[in-house]
Amino acid sequence: MTRSARRILWVWLAVAAIVVNACGGAATPSPAQQASASAPASAAASGGSAQPSAITGASCAAGAKEVKFWTSHVPPDSDALKHIVDAFNTANPDTCVKMTIVPGSETDIAKLLTAIRGGAAPDVYMADRFTVPQRAAEGVLDDITSATQGLSSQYLDFAWAETQFEGKTFALPFDTDARALWYNKDLITAAGQDVSALDMTKGPATIDTVVKIADAVSKKDSSGNYDVLGWIPGGPGAGGAAGAFDQGWHYTWGFTFGGTFADLTACKVTPTNPGVVAGFQFLYDWAKNHDPAAVSRWVASNRPVATQPAQQFPFWTGKLAMTISGDWRIAEQAKYAANGHYDFTFIPVAKQGDQSATWAGGWSMALIPNSPSRDQAIKFMKYIAGPDGQRVYTKESTHLPTIKDLLTDTSLYDPQHAKFLDLLKVAKNRPPLSVGAAYWDALTTAQGSVEANTMQPMDALNQVQTSIQPQLTTAGC
Amino acid sequence: MAAAAPALTRSRRPRLGALERRNLRWGLLFISPWLFGFLALSVFPILYTFFLSFTRYSGIRPPVIIGLTNYERIATDPLFWKSAYNTLFYTALAVPIGVLMAMILAVAMNQKLREVGIYRAILYLPSILPVFAISLIFIYLLNPAYGMVNALLGLAGLPSPNWLGDPTYARISLVLIAQLGAGQWALVFLAGLRGIPIELYESAEIDGAGAWTKFRRITLPLMTPVILYDIIIGLSLGLQVFTSAFILTGGGGGRGGGAGPDNALLTYVYYLYKQAFQFGQMGYAAALSVVLFVVSLVLAGAVFRWARGWVFYEAEDA
Repeated sequence: MTRSARRILWVWLAVAAIVVNACGGAATPSPAQQASASAPASAAASGGSAQPSAITGASCAAGAKEVKFWTSHVPPDSDALKHIVDAFNTANPDTCVKMTIVPGSETDIAKLLTAIRGGAAPDVYMADRFTVPQRAAEGVLDDITSATQGLSSQYLDFAWAETQFEGKTFALPFDTDARALWYNKDLITAAGQDVSALDMTKGPATIDTVVKIADAVSKKDSSGNYDVLGWIPGGPGAGGAAGAFDQGWHYTWGFTFGGTFADLTACKVTPTNPGVVAGFQFLYDWAKNHDPAAVSRWVASNRPVATQPAQQFPFWTGKLAMTISGDWRIAEQAKYAANGHYDFTFIPVAKQGDQSATWAGGWSMALIPNSPSRDQAIKFMKYIAGPDGQRVYTKESTHLPTIKDLLTDTSLYDPQHAKFLDLLKVAKNRPPLSVGAAYWDALTTAQGSVEANTMQPMDALNQVQTSIQPQLTTAGC
Repeated sequence: MAAAAPALTRSRRPRLGALERRNLRWGLLFISPWLFGFLALSVFPILYTFFLSFTRYSGIRPPVIIGLTNYERIATDPLFWKSAYNTLFYTALAVPIGVLMAMILAVAMNQKLREVGIYRAILYLPSILPVFAISLIFIYLLNPAYGMVNALLGLAGLPSPNWLGDPTYARISLVLIAQLGAGQWALVFLAGLRGIPIELYESAEIDGAGAWTKFRRITLPLMTPVILYDIIIGLSLGLQVFTSAFILTGGGGGRGGGAGPDNALLTYVYYLYKQAFQFGQMGYAAALSVVLFVVSLVLAGAVFRWARGWVFYEAEDA
């Protein structure tokens, strides 16, 4: 071999070494890596791996079959999840569930998608339940129909329906929730308003009443900027982005004004339904009356990023007097604002005597295709989404369970928490669509434009119709 | 006949000798790792993207050919137009301002001072910070109530904008962040400045030229190839702006998918990313990237054509 040929060979060997090394992290683990899988999580996560660290599984037995579990939840909810996983690992020494908090949100699963394509996917993923049909249609989730036979009857009907696509099961329902109007009694009283007008026993207050109270609470500084806000019924969301500041989403106000968002029989989305348009009109009018720029400025100042820690949420820091939110605030209040005086009531209604509306969301446990630990993963899913897991999660996170039997287990609810059980009985839910996530995001964009007063409600919702219906027609119901 | 002979000579490709053929073979073998990488990691993905643009593909299941449907959808997609507008707004501002900033920094770095090395390091320093870190810091610097930028504006008696909460200011924020990378380009400009023969300035001084005249008549014309290079690369990068918008909107647009106020920070590639990785619409995202590719190509061609009138290549007049 000539000197030049040897040099070229060396160059190729160097390139091959780099490529093999780069791919090694995503490929099947080497024996050494497999050995370290049973070591403490912190050790397994070290060594320059691109994978985030697992927060459970540190004390798993050597040789236990590993199940990778990903969630985008953060404290305090992820603390409850960790306790469930730890309990499972203790009870099942042959299995080691490694729970990892990964970036993502209800409709953002970019991390998961790239992991699947890169061959580094988890076995179990915690997916927002209303997106399950869409993810199933995309091939992101595995069919678990045969492994979950006979389980449907133990879950709430709407929650089970959200896990179905083309007659097959793609996830197990986990928690659910309900929404209400939370209020800070001290701020309202200090503004000279009668806080008893919001008492839940009196039934739902009208929107006019709530706006009047909120406007009395709102304070501006010497520059004319809001210092304290009484209420933001909708958005903008964190940093001024389109969306809800808390839970005043398009669905919240569409349902409140009697709207329906889809006709599942006809396989059609209905964003221009009169009730939905009326809900958007309310958001448009409220923004117009409260100066969208000023409200946006307050939001950008007090909630610059969506990942803001819960303890800095303006409702807990006394910068916001009322917010539409859910049952999980009970746990947050106990942790971050135990000395404050807060309560909640029905979401306000358009006119006196109307039925208040709320809606239930929630998450699910889904299996990712080609899991090397399929049996163990399903066993874990049945545990965390079953009575054992949901009992812990209900108690610690103050969400609500989707298992019917747990709804009557009084040991899980304090009196405040129990009120949300009553709301759950009348709660609506988002239509389980194969374009559920895309529909949500399109409605969010429309909400942002309407609240910025840059588009009229009907124009914005027509755009939603135009962009989503063709996708639904293609994907099917 | 005598006049035709050189033309014939020029049109005929000279045959390679044995030594040249051997050198070519070795040359190709030596660059073969790069060649392989280029074909496998650049050419193939580009061609595959063209194919995917005619399919419905989630990234998981096999692609299904659907003809021109993705392109038809682009025409009626309001967010396509919104993201295109945001991106063009950004590019139209960031590129010329970037050229100006790089030129100013390069001239400053080129001063004959003993401590110029320190100044160069200081001016270059922001360029080595990752865009991710800069963007994250900017979220807090630009906070309308508690941010340092508005505090300084307030001290100067200027109004304090709602930088990331107002659609127009949000777009301008992106342009501002981009300028922190000007140091990188300033180095290229500095190399260009130092390549200008000193004799030209000395001759001009003898003729009585002042600083401004020397800059306008010597520096600027001789820097035009560098400026063109900056514009072409800046255009390409500007049309692909992503990271800063992604971080400023909380990484993925928060819980609802919105990208800044009224989607003002939804840049074209950000939208493409959302379609591909948030909505699992790889086929549609591929069509979006093909459109971006064509637009980039057309714009680059137009800039080259426009540049014929003002770029001065020294070799041409030599």
